[in-house]
Amino acid sequence: MLRKKLSLIVLALMLTLSFAFVGSVQAATEITFWTLSLSPTFDDYINGVIAAFEAENPGIKVNWQDIPHAVAEQRTLTAAAANQLPDVMNLNTNFLKKLGALGALVDMDTAAADVKDHYFPGIWKAGEVNGVTYALPWYITNSLMIYNKDLLAKAGFDGPPTTMEESWEMSRVLYNKLGVYGNIITSIHLQLPKEGVYLVSPDGKSAAINTPKALEMFRNYKKYYDEGLIPDELLLGQAKGIEWYAQERIAWFVTGPQLFRQVLDMAPDVYHKSSAAFDVLGSEEVVNVAVMNIAVASTSKNQDAAVKFAKFMTNAENQLAFSKLTAILPSVIEAANDEYFTAGKDSTDAAELGHYIAAQQLQYSTDLYAPVENVTRINRIVNDEIKRVLLEDKDPAEALRDAERLINELL
Amino acid sequence: MYRPSHAWLFMAPALIIMLAFSIIPSFMALGLSFTDYNVFQKAQWVGLDNYRTILRTGEFWNVLRNTLSYWLLVTPVLVTVPVFVAALVNREMPGIKFYRLLFYFPVLVSVVITALIWGWMFQSNGILNYLLGLIGLGPVRWLTRRTTVLPSLALVTIWQGLGYYMLFYLAGMQSISLDVYEAAELDGATNWKKHIYITFPLLRPVIFFTTVISTMAALKEFTLMMTMTGGGPIGASKTVVYLVFEEAFENLEMGYASAISFLLFAVILVLTIINKTTLDKEQE
Repeated sequence: MLRKKLSLIVLALMLTLSFAFVGSVQAATEITFWTLSLSPTFDDYINGVIAAFEAENPGIKVNWQDIPHAVAEQRTLTAAAANQLPDVMNLNTNFLKKLGALGALVDMDTAAADVKDHYFPGIWKAGEVNGVTYALPWYITNSLMIYNKDLLAKAGFDGPPTTMEESWEMSRVLYNKLGVYGNIITSIHLQLPKEGVYLVSPDGKSAAINTPKALEMFRNYKKYYDEGLIPDELLLGQAKGIEWYAQERIAWFVTGPQLFRQVLDMAPDVYHKSSAAFDVLGSEEVVNVAVMNIAVASTSKNQDAAVKFAKFMTNAENQLAFSKLTAILPSVIEAANDEYFTAGKDSTDAAELGHYIAAQQLQYSTDLYAPVENVTRINRIVNDEIKRVLLEDKDPAEALRDAERLINELL
Repeated sequence: MYRPSHAWLFMAPALIIMLAFSIIPSFMALGLSFTDYNVFQKAQWVGLDNYRTILRTGEFWNVLRNTLSYWLLVTPVLVTVPVFVAALVNREMPGIKFYRLLFYFPVLVSVVITALIWGWMFQSNGILNYLLGLIGLGPVRWLTRRTTVLPSLALVTIWQGLGYYMLFYLAGMQSISLDVYEAAELDGATNWKKHIYITFPLLRPVIFFTTVISTMAALKEFTLMMTMTGGGPIGASKTVVYLVFEEAFENLEMGYASAISFLLFAVILVLTIINKTTLDKEQE
């Protein structure tokens, strides 16, 4: 009898222990998720998505931490040095390319092959370095035009420019008639690809910038600069275009629609004179897209769970819900087709109309950054060379030759 | 009863903090400067390669030239002008504390706020060009030309540092015994002569101190360039520390960046030794 009782107790203990063991194994799959400056504004949304994910995947627990955007790179480097990179990371495109090239991220072409065709192809390639994609695109914004109807009317125009040539013609009239700028040049590395001039070859092995088209563009920029059409401070990044727009020093400005409201805060009267239009597409009919990416660390001990969560976070349903909270766009085709994005079509409010136009521009949106590790340095080389041409009268052909040589040294 | 171990006990907290956050990291950085290290992969020993590459590339010499030019623009002014400002406010008169505060006020403003305010003033349509326009001058391209950018940035540093260095001189002047001045007065010395023969010679240790401090500050300047010009136009205001930042945190070349830091350390060390030996010789 006693023996039977003892056996029962042992059996009960074994069962309890085995359940506890299974429970501890399931709870052990914890993943850390870092976002950039989304808390506290989007706490409810992010926590809601995490709760839904955890409900669908009872064995996985997600620990969310929000990192201020300004210190994101330093925090990531510190975490990497301490071998404590989060499993899932929200990264900007430049930093992502660097990390991908150094082998710090999981290859998403393989890990997320099943969902690759859910995303816009031009946006999917934001995570590409040396032919491999290291992230899933998350929320995005593309650039379009906010323009001052009054200033254009005073200069004799009834609408914003639609081609590059027209935009410079209009800039000339605006400057000579009103002393106001039109086109400005801030990031030449994003202007050149719009006209078919790419900084590096498609295989990322050599510089591709030194072309007759690039030479023509450099010469034209020099001509416009000498006419006074390109302001120094904006060229050198020492002033903010959106502030100059609010001060009516420029008649149009190309930026994401989420920034239009800044004009309303700074100068309500200017905002009420404003409307939104398509960005000038250039000969390639593309607009640049700013992508926030989600990547998985290659050091993650729970890569499968991390990839699963990255896919969940960026799926159509969750991206659509996120887009409805603020002026961002989804990178997933299905979410972008929702009727929500046609709501602002007839709006007279610049930001609402801008949101509609941004969604319409998705078909032209593509990541215009060179898909190589040293993209930041390459962009600086090209921008420095055009500045030498404009500010210091360097020969455009020589500038392109130097840019080509310096880029090749980096590749 | 006093024992030497008590002194160590009192010094221990500061010593531990210094060891943990300054001395040990410095030696680790020195070690790092002989490696190729990008944080994500293991450091690889490369010997003196980083130093050789730095000395071969034009960019280091360009930023070193910028840094030394900036130092020459800033330090002589910050060593000499505050002496006169201190002499000016080192007197008893109604409201003198207000004047002292007025000179010291810029020190209290953060560098980023200073950069923003001066950035607006330096704009092509800013107040400085407006004022110059009133007397038929300008416009000056303060921050957008190679020739003007460093003097403009130096002006901001001088504006901000004047009160800080004035305070050291003021403390130095107030520690000079009044008896010495009274004796000089009895001998018929004028105010100017009292400064030349008493104040300035007795301020020699303070002058050495301000020279060293302002030299180090000028050679390590970075925030102002980062916030006002981004190192531009075309690298014309990029300093050595700016290059260290770029190499370390943009290009992830930690070993290379550490090597640049140690070259800057060597430059500062040499300048400090020259300064000290010059002053020591004069004193002898």
